[in-house]
Amino acid sequence: MTTNAKAPAKRTQKRRAWHLTALGVLFTALMLFPVYWMINVSLTQAGNMRKSPPNLIPIDGTLDGYTVVLRQQLPYLGTSLLIGIGTVALTLILAAPAGYSLAKLRPRGGGLLSFLLLIAQMIPAIVMAFGFYAIYIKLGLLGSVWGLILADSTIAVPFGVLIFTAFMTRIPDELLQAAKIDGAGPLRTFGSIVLPVSRNAIVTVSLFAFLWAWSDFLFANTLDSGGSMQPITLGIYAYIGNNNQQWNAIMATAVVASVPAAVLLVLAQKYVAAGVTAGAVKD
Amino acid sequence: MTRSTESEAGAVNAAPAKRRQAKKNKAQQRKAQLAAWGFIAPVVIYLAAAYAYPLYRNIDLSIHSYTVTSFVTGNAPFAGFAEYTGIFKNATFAAALLNTTIFVFVSIAFQFAIGLALAVFFAKRFRLNTLLRALFLVPWLLPLLVSASTWSWMLNSDSGIVNAFLKAVGAAPIDWLTSPTWSLIAVLIANIWIGIPFNLVIMYSGLQSIPDDIFEAASIDGAGGWQRFWRITFPLLRPVSAITLLLGFVYTLKVFDIIWIMTRGGPATSSTTLAIWSYQLSFGSFLPDFSSAAAVGNVLIVVAFVFALVYIRARHRLETT
Amino acid sequence: MTVQASRKARAVGAALLTLGTVAALAACSSGSNSSNTGTPASTGAGTSNASSTASGSGGTYNFWDPYPQYNATSDWTKLVESCGTRSGVTIKRTGYDTTALTTQALLAAQQGNAPDILLVDNPVVSTLAKAGALTTTAQNGLSTGEIATNILGAGVINGSTYGVPIGANTLALYYNPKILSQAGVNPASITSWSTLTAALAKVKAIGKTGITFSGINTEEGSFQFLPWFWGSGANLTNIDSPQAVAALTLWTTWLKDGYAPNSVIQDTQTTAWQEFQTGNVAFAENGTWQKATAAQMGAKVIQIPAENGGSAPVPTGGEFFTIPVQKDSSRYATSAKIVQCMSATDNIVKTDNTLNYIAPTKAGQQAQESADSSLSDWISAVGVAKARTGDNLGTKYPLISQQLWTAVQKAESGAATPSAALSAAQSAAAAAISKG
Repeated sequence: MTTNAKAPAKRTQKRRAWHLTALGVLFTALMLFPVYWMINVSLTQAGNMRKSPPNLIPIDGTLDGYTVVLRQQLPYLGTSLLIGIGTVALTLILAAPAGYSLAKLRPRGGGLLSFLLLIAQMIPAIVMAFGFYAIYIKLGLLGSVWGLILADSTIAVPFGVLIFTAFMTRIPDELLQAAKIDGAGPLRTFGSIVLPVSRNAIVTVSLFAFLWAWSDFLFANTLDSGGSMQPITLGIYAYIGNNNQQWNAIMATAVVASVPAAVLLVLAQKYVAAGVTAGAVKD
Repeated sequence: MTRSTESEAGAVNAAPAKRRQAKKNKAQQRKAQLAAWGFIAPVVIYLAAAYAYPLYRNIDLSIHSYTVTSFVTGNAPFAGFAEYTGIFKNATFAAALLNTTIFVFVSIAFQFAIGLALAVFFAKRFRLNTLLRALFLVPWLLPLLVSASTWSWMLNSDSGIVNAFLKAVGAAPIDWLTSPTWSLIAVLIANIWIGIPFNLVIMYSGLQSIPDDIFEAASIDGAGGWQRFWRITFPLLRPVSAITLLLGFVYTLKVFDIIWIMTRGGPATSSTTLAIWSYQLSFGSFLPDFSSAAAVGNVLIVVAFVFALVYIRARHRLETT
Repeated sequence: MTVQASRKARAVGAALLTLGTVAALAACSSGSNSSNTGTPASTGAGTSNASSTASGSGGTYNFWDPYPQYNATSDWTKLVESCGTRSGVTIKRTGYDTTALTTQALLAAQQGNAPDILLVDNPVVSTLAKAGALTTTAQNGLSTGEIATNILGAGVINGSTYGVPIGANTLALYYNPKILSQAGVNPASITSWSTLTAALAKVKAIGKTGITFSGINTEEGSFQFLPWFWGSGANLTNIDSPQAVAALTLWTTWLKDGYAPNSVIQDTQTTAWQEFQTGNVAFAENGTWQKATAAQMGAKVIQIPAENGGSAPVPTGGEFFTIPVQKDSSRYATSAKIVQCMSATDNIVKTDNTLNYIAPTKAGQQAQESADSSLSDWISAVGVAKARTGDNLGTKYPLISQQLWTAVQKAESGAATPSAALSAAQSAAAAAISKG
């Protein structure tokens, strides 16, 4: 009896699911239309750039943009990747312990620190870049990958502390008590209990830090313009001359630059999903 | 007799024991505080080095009157509040303030609403859910130079695809980037588009952390989808929403690249925000006025600061109810 | 966490590690190519220096220019490095985005980090000179004798010369011969604003677009507006004069009557040119640097007409070699040698041909013309061109220009009438000048 009643319910559920998938594809297509347009432009010839009305698909297209990009931009992609990974590492090293401390160890002045971190995010990037320029000259960090990693981390660290604090607050105290009873010091507790449990927060913060570092232009332009290793956001400038811009190459650079990041995104998506912020965000 | 002496002896022993315990507690507390501070010390040093110095420099720039000459040599006269009164009196200030207000509030309203709606949508189970959700984050990957340029391309009055579409359905084409009435709307659309992924990710994880049994309980009670959302889900999401809105506010206040690349704040001042104005005064001119630019930058920070205070007050009220 | 999930986590971690290693290898292998090539330039009529065979013997000199599109393997970089070697030093060349170069140069000057040789857009020279960041020819020993006075103009401030031009470019009116013959317009008949407007009307009658130009709210917009501004007889010291209003009204009328597309309000010179390249536009106001692509599409050139006849004065574009102030003044001699090397006739002709500029000396121009006779139009245009910061405007120019492009955009977009926009601009410019 029950099996028969379940069968039609299952069928309607499956039909419903497909209807949702169709809707999801529609939304995604709408959202990604500009990305499609970017690819379209990357394949368009210079002469057709301002055609009215524009071609919906790149008829009479050209691969010139891509040949140029693949020939010239790979080192820039490598540098961007390096900077991205470096920023993630630095952000995690700074933010995770701080989040743990604010969540569980109740340092005096913790509230003030959280507030200051919030203020820190309000400083416009240009102000930061100006300040860094002066410091970097004295420290010799101008035009270096390390300098950029440090600068890009300022975008991610305050946010990272926020996420870690919110996440780690929800770690059950019994877990930490058990470790204490076993004789583990705070460092040990952090390393062997807190971190493994916070895997989702780690992935989320890493994702944000990587993406922010990957797409940063202002810091790269101010602090690494003369550097020997430059990220992809500066590499694009190879096609932006004083009086001439090569748009298909610019868009092709963006497409090529998006691919590794998109791959990482799809891989990491599952972890970001599983619960990052919840409940009150403690000060 | 012995009992009383025992208890007396006990009482006598209890006091030093209590004191010892108190001392032990204090020592333990100090150790705990040391450990707590040990964990946050790197961030504190980082804050001082990486944020305090640029901020100090910016304030210094804004309270002196720097010309290009004195910028290089370093001897600029102290100006007190003069640079600030200067920018307040400037005709652009009112326009920039108004545009910033509209830009920020409309942006966050739409980004948040759409992000939340999509999060609720993606919370349902269906095929390709994970893949589609990941794809939604792709706009975030693109360097802002590219996203902004793509939108400029699409919104071009004569050769843009949006106007081509409008013409195809019989509507009149709009001068998105070249009309003073539409330029702010054009950058708003691009900015909302860029901000949706951030809101989607945070609100989605907020939704995920609401335990399923609450939903089950609600549906047993016969609550419909919409009711369920408003009565149960949304209130539970309030803390996450609050932080998302606050961060959205702070980030949108700083938005610069999109507007600069699409309209450079024009035509006239129709899409100039405080961030754009600050850049115009410094990097955007052949004869930079760093002091005014710094002053505008500080005004931005103060505005964000005020809203942060509002947020904290609102959250305290939330927590105490 | 499930076994599956932790396996996936490991996969992600491994992927990241691999990517990271590959990235590091890729980034490092490309390396910096800014170190010397070691081979002295084989061209040149001059005698080569005996010490030029030893590369890098004199130290490293920094060279900044606004050509990020030229990478380490380009002819430009090779030329720069060879001039360094000829002067006995190694050159480290960096290309910057031109809009950021002013502030970069100022920041560098402030921090004592200025390059030895700085190539900047000509309106920037007065800003940097005012900031005390540049040396004069008296200090650095550069000779300017052969350079045409009007081209040198942007580098002369209060009687001192702060730099030498790499070349000059300017604006003219390109036209599409096919469209003109279809519309029945004779290009030779376009000698004044009225004849030009009449031609545009004829072009519109056959369903094509009349003219494109760049009316954007940046220096490019001012640059493109100046031939019309000067062609009406207006002067930059008074941007709300009736002549100035007439010039702006010319543009706004074209927009209103549909002779120019609405997108000119946002067009850069490149995007305006791209519209011309679609083959549906009759005229394009654009510069020397497009002459190669123009030839490809069969477009020809006429001078921009002044309001009542004759050619309108056109602004000079093009960068200047400057030698920034250094703590060690003994470096100036070598920097000057490098600049002279790059400005030597053969080298400058090579450079200007690559950049599509006109040489700043008569000898250079003659060499260019004998190699390519189609340049004679451009050489005459450059001959009557004037510097934007000339007329002793110096650092007043950027302040005026900013108000000018704002007014132009306001009027073009209909936010204000030309006269209202320009009077607001004049007061704003005056206020800015009195403040600075």
